[in-house]
Amino acid sequence: MNAQLIQPDVSFIREVRAAGGSDLKKCFQCATCSVVCDLSPDDAPFPRKQMIAAQWGLKDQLLCDPAIWLCHNCGSCTTQCPRGARPGDVMAALRQLAIRNFAFPGFMGRLVANPKALPVLFLVPALVLLAIILWVPKGPATPELEFANLFPVVAVEALFFTVSTLAAIAFLVGVIRYLKALRMCCPGILLNFPPVSAEIVTHERFAQCNTNQGVRWGHFLVLWGFLGLASVGTTIGIGTMAGILRTPLPWGSALKILANVCAAGVLTGAVILIRERTVNQARRAASTYFDWLFLGTLTAVVFTGILLQFFRLAQVAYLMYPVYFVHLVLTLALLLYAPYSKFAHLAYRTVAMASTEPWKPKRKPRRLSEQGAKHCVDFYS
Amino acid sequence: MTAGKPILVLGGGIAGMTAAIEAAEAGCEVVLIEKAPYLGGRVARTHLYFPKLCPPACGLEVNFKRLRNSSRIKILTQAELVELSGSAGDYAATVKIAPRYVTSACTMCGACADLCPAQRPDEFNYGLSKTKAAYLPFAMAFPDTYVIDRPSCKEACTACADACKYGAVDLSQTERRETLQVAAVVAATGWAPYDAARIDGLGYGRFKNVITNAIMERLAAPNGPTGGKIVRPSDGKAPREVVFVQCAGSRDENHLPYCSTVCCAASLKQAAYVRAQHPDSKVAIFYIDVRTSGRLEDFYASVAADPNIGLIKGKVAKVEEDAATGDLVVRAEDVLHGKQIALHADLVVLATGIVPQTQGLPAGFTVDDYGFVGNGKAGLYPAGCARRPEEVSASVEDATGAALRAFQCVVRSAHHG
Repeated sequence: MNAQLIQPDVSFIREVRAAGGSDLKKCFQCATCSVVCDLSPDDAPFPRKQMIAAQWGLKDQLLCDPAIWLCHNCGSCTTQCPRGARPGDVMAALRQLAIRNFAFPGFMGRLVANPKALPVLFLVPALVLLAIILWVPKGPATPELEFANLFPVVAVEALFFTVSTLAAIAFLVGVIRYLKALRMCCPGILLNFPPVSAEIVTHERFAQCNTNQGVRWGHFLVLWGFLGLASVGTTIGIGTMAGILRTPLPWGSALKILANVCAAGVLTGAVILIRERTVNQARRAASTYFDWLFLGTLTAVVFTGILLQFFRLAQVAYLMYPVYFVHLVLTLALLLYAPYSKFAHLAYRTVAMASTEPWKPKRKPRRLSEQGAKHCVDFYS
Repeated sequence: MTAGKPILVLGGGIAGMTAAIEAAEAGCEVVLIEKAPYLGGRVARTHLYFPKLCPPACGLEVNFKRLRNSSRIKILTQAELVELSGSAGDYAATVKIAPRYVTSACTMCGACADLCPAQRPDEFNYGLSKTKAAYLPFAMAFPDTYVIDRPSCKEACTACADACKYGAVDLSQTERRETLQVAAVVAATGWAPYDAARIDGLGYGRFKNVITNAIMERLAAPNGPTGGKIVRPSDGKAPREVVFVQCAGSRDENHLPYCSTVCCAASLKQAAYVRAQHPDSKVAIFYIDVRTSGRLEDFYASVAADPNIGLIKGKVAKVEEDAATGDLVVRAEDVLHGKQIALHADLVVLATGIVPQTQGLPAGFTVDDYGFVGNGKAGLYPAGCARRPEEVSASVEDATGAALRAFQCVVRSAHHG
């Protein structure tokens, strides 16, 4: 007998319910959810098993379960659940708890998940930036209004490199913790990265998922636009520090054009995703603080970025500098909290996808006449 | 004793007939009204009872005989209650009676139907077959006279009246109303199967070989549209692999939030129909829980002992069709093994649930969130599946209880009135 001692973690059940899975206990295990899900694999279907594991408080089992990340949150299971147990919301809550659980340092995970801490989250970068304005010596004023007049380029770049490094370390520790929890050897996962990356490039899972294709393309634009902006930002950062580039870049420069295209992409994608979460009744009900914090910050970063470019071109000092300040606060917050916010799904979902088999079409139907009906179990071999 | 006003019983199914007969045999006057042109309701359309697997015909025959022999029961078919006023012991009920166009002079010779040029879908067989516009609802119909479905007739046609040697066809009949003074009312308005077409994903109404359990009863019944042969609607072939889908609508807050209580035993019974008729067939029953409580546990065990009947825990959420062959694929998660299962099926039977038929009841009755009728004002009593989902035997006991309560009301009003 493959006996297993069940050790329920009651506080974990409470956490799942608080993080958006409040209807968890209504589930009566009919498994409609696993069948209506197009991403649910034949041999390890979800989310029915995750529902009972969550009801039983099986924290360790759930947080290292790749299935919680394989779900792309289309909400079909929630719509069709005969009990209103909202499995899609429970899966989202489990993802949120996984990010919190693997967070390094741990208190940051709790802080970012806590709506009451929201003012603190933005106050910290604001104070750091104020300190730079007040105490870092500025260079000679330029003839035209430039952002460097508010924040010296060196100070801003140094700050962003520091924050990015901190975030990268936090991500690394989080992912290592996750891998340890998965108890998978890294080489196996590494081999899966090429096919998984190919899936991510095209958003193939979204295409297989019941998700309406608006969400697929919204996410596609946001992801690729954001990665584009991040590369441009890093290139300009390194370029200015090395003295090769000088901001503001001229209009015709390839980097400038790329940045604008990417910004337009993220904004379009974000508007699609926000619209989806507000107009669509079911998705609105499924959206939590955790979702909105990330989506809102990201959208605001790009929106203020586009705005301040116009204000700079118009040379309106009283609009340009305050918006720049807000933009930097938001961008710092986005980066600094990336390993603890929904942003972190970028890392955890990729690892989870690499730790499981690639998506396969559903298996071919079997016939009762192939075996005695009593031996349905033989169908799976 | 015969003192007091009559009891009005709404509905001539097994519960209504029972309430009427029990009250009458205790000495009470009864008016039994039924919407359809025949008595027997859903039970008359059932092939066999569970768990004994015996036909309901003998029970119906006994009931019809008791009705016929009772001088205290007035039966009005094609009749509906349109208004109710008053209070316990003193209700005035207005009843609307549609014309049958055939009088009691009918000898059931069938000459009218033979010459009738028009057809109508046979609601007795859930529309699976057709009858003439002049028809007998079913072989042992009670009242035992033909009916003319006038809206289905060809314009100005009098073929039936011309054909009747006994002058039993009277096409000049019109709708009439009758006001009855009654002491109490028993609501035994029964149930209808849930409309399976409303369940997305199970394919009923789109795929020919997806049927309901109600239709399965008619396919299996010797007086049904196929003469009792269980065959696929698409091609008339004998199904070799039959899948039953439990809780098709029931226990689902998107459809019927309650358990209909009879569908588990009904599917086990129908699995036995299939196995008895097609010895080389195999059956799978997908369930959330097999709810066969009390004495039905033995029935469950006996059906489940058949090696060719498999029970799989997991609700079917998807049925797909191969349009070329009409074959089906049923998808579910086998919960006990934790794997997805995709099963080929020749015929899929949806175990649709019980929807109470209580929409037109007078305001004095209380109806719960699900549409089941509870105890209303004094003198108004529910019985049978209008009150709660229940099997036939429970319905009969329920109706006997309602008859007693109604009878108490008659006695009280006779004493005080």
